[in-house]
Amino acid sequence: MKDLEQKHFTKAVGNANEINELLRRFGVKFGIYKNGVFNEQFFPFDPIPRVITAEDFACIEKGLVQRVDALNEFLFDIYHDKKIVRDGIIPEDFIYISKGYLAECEGITPKNRIYSHISGIDLVQGKDGVWYILEDNLRIPSGASYPLIARELTRIAAPQAFEENEIVDNRGYAQLLKETMEYANCGGIRAILTPGRYNAAYFEHSYLAEHTGSVLVQNDELFVEDNMLYHRTYSGGKTRIGVLYRRIADEYLDPLTFLPESLIGIPNLMEAYRSGNVGIINAPGNGVADDKGIYYFVPKMIKYYLGEEPILRNAPTYLPFYKEDMKYVMDNLEKLVIKDVAEAGGYGVVFGSDLTKEKLEEFRKTIIAEPRRFIAQEVIDFLDLPILDNGETVMRKADLRAFVLSGETTRVWASGLTRFSRNPDSFVVNSSQGGGFKDTWVLK
Amino acid sequence: MSTISKEHSDRLYWLGRYTERFFTTLKALDKMFDRMLGQSHIYTEYLDHFGIVNTYSDSREFIRSFLYDEFNPNSAAYCLERAYDNGIVLREEISTSALSFLQMAKDTLRRAENSPNPRLSLLPLEDIVYGFWGSINEHIYDDEIRNIIYIGKTIERLDLYIRMRYPYEISRKEYIRLLKNLRRVPKDTPYRYNTKALSAIEEIMGSEEDYLSRTDDAVSSLGQLFETSEVFV
Repeated sequence: MKDLEQKHFTKAVGNANEINELLRRFGVKFGIYKNGVFNEQFFPFDPIPRVITAEDFACIEKGLVQRVDALNEFLFDIYHDKKIVRDGIIPEDFIYISKGYLAECEGITPKNRIYSHISGIDLVQGKDGVWYILEDNLRIPSGASYPLIARELTRIAAPQAFEENEIVDNRGYAQLLKETMEYANCGGIRAILTPGRYNAAYFEHSYLAEHTGSVLVQNDELFVEDNMLYHRTYSGGKTRIGVLYRRIADEYLDPLTFLPESLIGIPNLMEAYRSGNVGIINAPGNGVADDKGIYYFVPKMIKYYLGEEPILRNAPTYLPFYKEDMKYVMDNLEKLVIKDVAEAGGYGVVFGSDLTKEKLEEFRKTIIAEPRRFIAQEVIDFLDLPILDNGETVMRKADLRAFVLSGETTRVWASGLTRFSRNPDSFVVNSSQGGGFKDTWVLK
Repeated sequence: MSTISKEHSDRLYWLGRYTERFFTTLKALDKMFDRMLGQSHIYTEYLDHFGIVNTYSDSREFIRSFLYDEFNPNSAAYCLERAYDNGIVLREEISTSALSFLQMAKDTLRRAENSPNPRLSLLPLEDIVYGFWGSINEHIYDDEIRNIIYIGKTIERLDLYIRMRYPYEISRKEYIRLLKNLRRVPKDTPYRYNTKALSAIEEIMGSEEDYLSRTDDAVSSLGQLFETSEVFV
């Protein structure tokens, strides 16, 4: 696969400076808090795209649609009859202990029964060419705007690269998102709720609002009256909101339902939602399905709800909760990667091989004491991708966040955010950990 | 009219004010730069217009501070940062394209700081600001929203022209421009100007004599025209 990128990227590389200059001009930024201080920085972009063949993408697409459809079925089931628990497929411990499970969402059926409208599924490609699912992000997955604007700007700076390669146009994402939002719309305008400028993904919030023709709002501009959500206009009027693409976490959404100390939520929003007067994208409570512990069970869900064999594989995963898995984890701790199920964004990930003997023993005890808190995975030797580093091409670890949008049908955006590690020894690609991004080309 | 919150309308107003403050400051400093070539201490005239005490050791230090020092609230860099701060939360109203001109202006100003010939390096900024206004015209479809930013712009320009004692006929033209924008404000909107303050300005701008002798009154009345508070994050 390395050859594929090498073959297609050459023309784009010649214009790396121009592309980065344009990204600067258009303010493609990412916020990071370090030691409590907010820094807005340009998101490092590598002009060498990840290239996916049409054949590979067709398989990924099929697998992702299947996976997201099953996850949506699971969410409906969990907040209603919980058949999957009653039938013994998933132990109930994994549902009720999950921080993402919200009892307040019990019995709520969103419009058209869709819970995860925008799913960000992280994949890696092994050196053998096999794609593995690393994790599902069904709450507020971010990142689509970066390859979207990067493509737009690369087409300006390096048009030859697009003349010589037949690439699926990815610039329809905003339209896809708009259609998805409309499908969840309960009557009113579309709005994107942001916690504000100092959120890490603020660029994305404002860019998507602009390109979907939605109103970008903060909580103090919104209020609930007679179980309807309204936008307070500057002239003292009000405009009804039919669908809210919220970019704040569940627990902060409504201080009367969740955290009372939330200063960024909207009082009574959950009542308006429960009454079917406003659609919320993605549905509150989705965290129960993208919990790292639940990840283990997704292939089982696919069989259970859809009666199909999973098309895409999970990375080999062990749950110390199960006796036999605990034994395997204890015997092989030094070669596994351990993930704290409560953490995200690349935090709480420990490679056994990085630990000293003492630390390993200490960690062993923690896992024994709190088996439900961790999952263990085999370290996948995933494919390195070429990146440009000070004019030299070097190889770095990279993953792919694919975006799956569920509306009238479930559709996979023919692109995605390829994130790479800038550190040669690291597997951690998260932008919050200093990683960069690439465009993702799907060939025709 | 499109739905827009109170905070966004305030930010539009201040975006207009700070972009104009940046532009007019830049132009005034350019003129000052030219005049300082023969008489380096003439910069104190600029400070006098704004009632600022001269703490600068020479013209070079003055220029550096008033162009590039982001912590000097009278500098071009400070005004540009404030314009950007307001603009960045208005992307869906003003467009990514309009916002990109502010980023370009920031980058150009930063580059000029290290240039051996700042005047030459600052020249593109004029084009960039014109580009910004062109982009605003192109992308803000709603007249009422567009007018808010233009009101901010014209109030700021008139305020600076009065403070810097621009010739009466030039300031008068800017005043007429402001009146045209004010007349576009729909009667049923709360975004109304203070008519008392406007009457006072009208009286002062009515004759050159009043204009030259009642500068402080004019500036104070302009400040009272709108009770639009500046939004800080």
